[in-house]
Amino acid sequence: MAFPKEVYSILEDIVGREYISADPVICEGYRAGPAGYECGLGYERVMTRVPGCVVMPRTTEEVQKIVKVCNRYKIPYVPYSTGFYGARSHPHVENALLIDLKRMNDLEIDEKHLYAVVGPGVIYSQLQEEAMKRGMYTVIGGGGSQCSAIANMIGDGWSPLSHRIGLPHRRILGAELVLPDGELLRLGSLALQDDPFWGEGIGPDLRGLLRGYTGHRGFLGIVTKMAIKLLPFQPEKLEPTGVSPNTALMLPEKRVKWINFTMPSFESIKRAMYEIAKAEIGAAVTRVPLFWRIIARAGSKEEFWELWSKENEETVNAFFVLRVLLIGFTSEKQLEYEERVLMDIVKELGGEPRRTRPTDESWFKNADSAGMWLMCGGYVSVDYVIETIEHATAQCKNFAELKRSYTPPLMPDYADPGWFQCFELGHQGYSEFLIYWDPDEDTTRVDHFYLETAKENIRKRFYTALLGSHQPLYLTGPAYGPNYHKWLLKIKKEFDPNFVCHPPFPLSHDFFVEQAEWMKPLKDWGSPNLNEILPKEIAALMKTSSQSKEK
Amino acid sequence: MPKRTVSLDVTNLENFVYDMSRCIKCKGCTWVDHIYMPGIKFSTRCPSATRYLFDSYGAYGKMRIGLALAEGRIQYNDNLLHILYACTLCGACDVGCKRNLDLEIELTLEALRVKAVKDGMAPLPQHRRVVQNIMAQHNSLGASPEKRRNWLPQEIEPSQKAEVLYFAGCSASYRNPEIAQATVKILDVAGVPFTLLEEEWCCGNILYSIGMIDEARKIAQRNIEEVRRKGAGILLTSCAECYRMWKVDYPKMLNIATADLGFKVLHLTEYVDELINKGLLKLTKPLSLRVTYHDACSLSRLSEPWIPWQGERGLWGVTSPPIPRRRGTNGVYEEPRRILQSIPGIEFVEMIRKRENAFCCGAGRGVKEAFPDFAAWAAEERLKEFKEVGAEVLVVACPWCKNNFSEVIKAKGEKIKVLDISEIIADSIATEVRGGK
Amino acid sequence: MGSKIKTMEIKMNLIGEELTKIVGPENFSADNSLLEKYSRDYSLSPSGRPNYVVWPRNAEEISRILELANKYQIPVIPVSSRAHFYGATIPKQGGIIIDLSRHMNRILEVDELNRRVRIEAGVTWKHLVEELRKRGFRVIMPLLPHPERSVVTDFLEREVPTNTVYDYGEPLQGMEVVWPTGEIFRTGSASVPGYPDSPSRGANPTGPGIDFYRFLQGAQGTMGIVTWVNLKIEYLPKIDKVLFAPVTDLSYIIEFLYRILRLRIGQECLLLNNINLAIILSGSMNLDFEKLRSSLPPWTLVLVLSGLQRRPEEKIQYEEEALRNIVKNEFHEVQLSENLPGVLGAGKKLLQLLREPWPKETYWKHLYKGGCASVFFITKPVLAPKFISKTQEVAAKHGYLPEEIGMYIQPIEHNRACHLEFNFFYDPNDLDNVEKVRGLCRALYPILLNEGAFFTRPYGELAKLVYERAGSYASVLRRLKNIFDPNNIMNPGNLCF
Repeated sequence: MAFPKEVYSILEDIVGREYISADPVICEGYRAGPAGYECGLGYERVMTRVPGCVVMPRTTEEVQKIVKVCNRYKIPYVPYSTGFYGARSHPHVENALLIDLKRMNDLEIDEKHLYAVVGPGVIYSQLQEEAMKRGMYTVIGGGGSQCSAIANMIGDGWSPLSHRIGLPHRRILGAELVLPDGELLRLGSLALQDDPFWGEGIGPDLRGLLRGYTGHRGFLGIVTKMAIKLLPFQPEKLEPTGVSPNTALMLPEKRVKWINFTMPSFESIKRAMYEIAKAEIGAAVTRVPLFWRIIARAGSKEEFWELWSKENEETVNAFFVLRVLLIGFTSEKQLEYEERVLMDIVKELGGEPRRTRPTDESWFKNADSAGMWLMCGGYVSVDYVIETIEHATAQCKNFAELKRSYTPPLMPDYADPGWFQCFELGHQGYSEFLIYWDPDEDTTRVDHFYLETAKENIRKRFYTALLGSHQPLYLTGPAYGPNYHKWLLKIKKEFDPNFVCHPPFPLSHDFFVEQAEWMKPLKDWGSPNLNEILPKEIAALMKTSSQSKEK
Repeated sequence: MPKRTVSLDVTNLENFVYDMSRCIKCKGCTWVDHIYMPGIKFSTRCPSATRYLFDSYGAYGKMRIGLALAEGRIQYNDNLLHILYACTLCGACDVGCKRNLDLEIELTLEALRVKAVKDGMAPLPQHRRVVQNIMAQHNSLGASPEKRRNWLPQEIEPSQKAEVLYFAGCSASYRNPEIAQATVKILDVAGVPFTLLEEEWCCGNILYSIGMIDEARKIAQRNIEEVRRKGAGILLTSCAECYRMWKVDYPKMLNIATADLGFKVLHLTEYVDELINKGLLKLTKPLSLRVTYHDACSLSRLSEPWIPWQGERGLWGVTSPPIPRRRGTNGVYEEPRRILQSIPGIEFVEMIRKRENAFCCGAGRGVKEAFPDFAAWAAEERLKEFKEVGAEVLVVACPWCKNNFSEVIKAKGEKIKVLDISEIIADSIATEVRGGK
Repeated sequence: MGSKIKTMEIKMNLIGEELTKIVGPENFSADNSLLEKYSRDYSLSPSGRPNYVVWPRNAEEISRILELANKYQIPVIPVSSRAHFYGATIPKQGGIIIDLSRHMNRILEVDELNRRVRIEAGVTWKHLVEELRKRGFRVIMPLLPHPERSVVTDFLEREVPTNTVYDYGEPLQGMEVVWPTGEIFRTGSASVPGYPDSPSRGANPTGPGIDFYRFLQGAQGTMGIVTWVNLKIEYLPKIDKVLFAPVTDLSYIIEFLYRILRLRIGQECLLLNNINLAIILSGSMNLDFEKLRSSLPPWTLVLVLSGLQRRPEEKIQYEEEALRNIVKNEFHEVQLSENLPGVLGAGKKLLQLLREPWPKETYWKHLYKGGCASVFFITKPVLAPKFISKTQEVAAKHGYLPEEIGMYIQPIEHNRACHLEFNFFYDPNDLDNVEKVRGLCRALYPILLNEGAFFTRPYGELAKLVYERAGSYASVLRRLKNIFDPNNIMNPGNLCF
């Protein structure tokens, strides 16, 4: 079934010949997998499809027109900035229109007022450099420098640099949202004028529609412009050095400094975080899992495995390293002051500073996030936890335990409780739980584990980022709120009555469980007939993939 | 999953199914290394992806399309061939990917072209002429083989036998005699005897590049034999494309290591750097120029020696023995810079995208022949950067770069000077030509 | 007609009975004099009487009240404070006042380890600040809130804090709301099953699924009834140093603030004009207002440097050094001093005022003439002088002396933006005076809007004007409200509803 010709020619008139294609070769280039974030798993194999047509608009007006055409002709569409988020950023139904936003890459900076205005085609890497040229910085989400700044701002957006600013949704100022029916919603100060300098609503804040704790993967429209807060930095340049693959930023040590500490215990790391937060110092405070240290040292996959195979549960659980970033925002003296306070704290807790390189390979430019796939070829974060430091660490320890029975096929990490850091000056802790597997192996149990964590969170009353579009909505819905899913679906119905914006989100994982043979046994919650929630034209496109029978 | 036997042999696409199926779409192949990211402008290093925009043109697209081809899920059409061939194989994607991962992107792209030829879909009609030129006249221009040595200045005589064999290459022989002339002048002044091949044939770059590996291999075998017969210890060239062919792709095609060629392959810049270190060459004549340097892809990213490999790949994708990775780290980056910065009077500024982040000029590997618009576009993009850094002279190390930039400059009426580094070196040597033995 | 009225009467009595059943007779009233009290507030909004007042004891009772309201399609108006300034709690279409201040006013948890407090909507500034102070804590505060105002309401309504140094701005975390449909719902990490009997402490405001709490912000009680909220709290600094700078050239001092606030210097930082500062100081220190307002410079910058929990003197030292260098090298005309000329002990007093609600019986804005109409919005600091001269121009045209306008500039987050506020004082008993000020405000709104003022909190009749211009925003808001409040019973008449 080819993409409808009549619709193609209308779209061609909107964007121009050069910027549209329904050629199966071009479309194949947009396939989600077999590798990528959350790829090489059942979800990607069963749920994702190659688009029927790709279009590349340049302006908000073009996007609106495209979306209106999709509504008229019941063409499902998917907004796509870089495609890096993997399976869930790609079409899930036959013959969808993929709206590739890379040409919307304008960037403007208001240096005086500490914000940048970007289109979805701008990536963090570009934004960070432009910000740093002007004495500012942004927090590049864990996904990496290659992420679209907008997509990440409405998706995830946390890093150790979130120590001070915390939750990413606060960094969103004025924005433009093309609603699923093609109408334009201007948020923040854009509602009244052309300068997006402020993000709050007139009265109730409709930025609430853009995301939740994590994003809803684009089922409530397309953000075509966003003003993003930048943060005041310090004036010295971070000089890039080295030749690939060993490139890094040289830190001006009197103003920017990482210090690693060996701590006597896991508990002392937590205590240090509380104390550092209480003293209101630091620009990043994070625990380094042994695993990451090995990745940083290894020059290749093979070297990684050689080094990693020498570790075991004992060595992993005896490795307590705390890594703290100090930035002299005010002056060199500020850094000196903070270092003295930091040393006081660490000393009190029995820790010792270690020799630390005066470079940053990771967080300022976050150039090495792609390295998460180096070890095994498959990777997904199974949860991001932002709650109190206690909750964050307890949850990760819990996952580590649960994970044992799913290893293999998960990569052995010897029950490492993972990465966690201080967040919002200690009001929260952040921890992320990452899993790795070999996509060539039987990944059934990885799919199972992923779902099992959702059930575990409910059982143990943990909060979790993976709600909404990430896990079965009818599983998590009744538990959280309660019944947040009802509101989500009502909002979806109100603003996307034709269900053309990235169907079948937010029900994608519900569909996955229904369609994949090996997932069905895990369903122990009630749900209505999912196909009846969708309009019939869209339900007809939800064909079960041939992959749903295979493991 | 049982272990698989794999090798880096580009004649079998199966060897690269792993690489094609592990691309994570991070687009590190397209973006400048994020550590070096200059900002919103000049932020990419893949000309194909930057020009044609669809993801399908970036390595992430090509890997997916290649995999579909390997698995028989897709048919050839014009777009597919355009995607495969409107690409200079510049290696930016390979090096970009290898910053964080272990995928052989460049080899995969080469293997896809070999497959296209095997499947009868390539060479493209646009390639036919240059293929014929090389096969029939042993040069890419279709010029008369008898006139190949016409560039040689009268006052310089090559030796019959010498440690250094200068391989001029098709471009320098016929289109850019100034480069070959400058090169031999340098050798002469330095007192380095050199020899030439009696019958110098095209290195076969374009044949190999477009996937005609059998033909290219035959040329390689013949050329290597000729050099061995001459007994030279060093094959010297001032063309980056020839350099890469001799040093990397010849051994690759013959399944031997660069070290086993029987002679060293050096680019002029490497050799001159050595001569300067040894005190055998002095660049003393001041040149009052503000210059910048364009890193030629084949001299930089793609120039690390070849090591053949075969072995097994098992759980987690671990290879045994471990594949020796060529990540572009040890390309010829510093030598040209040292040379330029040592010349009195020269003010050196870097391009914004430098070394392994350089933006390809757009001419190489069959692109200039098949897609001249694309080649011109890429050169124009790079020249925008040149203007941004405010230099007067663009220094290159390859006649392909020189010609492509020069053509665009002429067409646009720009006042930009392009010089090959051999010319600059030759100009800075105070002594006149001594005359050969 | 008669039977219609009779039906209406029966219905109203029925409602009264059912309400009484839910909250108990001691928590229900339809007494006219009481209803009268809820019909007006300190603003210029026209009065409007409710039909009933109830004082629920918990969320379940609120839920049942709302179910009732939906059944009878009768409006409800949530009230949590005992002083109101913007008319938001004046019923526009009659209805039931749901007043949480009597019973739902407990501090539920103080979590020192995680620097968090969980409070019910009825908790006042006075109550909270005192309790936190005992334990060495504080919450970032707006300027001089009324002691009897609900902390929860003030934060939901986005009152701007005086502290500019925290990147994360707002203190709101997970909360509980009763939706207009009557469903009890928790937002953020408070949404976990069984909260607060859970590892989750409610410290994350976002989610679940979408950011529900955003819909409750600035909502003037139209989107739901918030019963309790988790808030971030901070430690009280160990040492504070209050600095003043007299300001005659406002643009100059604003440039100075762009420079120093970006360096993350200071805690509280604000600009008050002579009128407002004179009112505040004379009111709290029993000084002569007239004398003070004429001796104070046109504006005064107040900047508080603080030493925190560890090595506090050293922090003040490096901040002072940085300040000194900037003044010396770039802003010679700024004269920072710990003294405010003419006011002994001003520093100590101001520090206290900045960390506590207004201490006196009469609210500071009412000290001068008895009444005050406030016009405020968000803008870029560099634009403040333009708005000021425009406002003065309009004031003069409406017979209000420009030198009588109270003004306040509150820098936000490193001075990336600011809250700009104009206070127009009037005698509420002088009807001409009242009309003059009302007319002035009406004339001012569209002019300020045209100049780019961003009104994020449009109260009263300003709302209509703003939403007319922000048509698409208003339309989406209505569609959203319709989901949560299909019968439009939740405080109709406010905003664009």
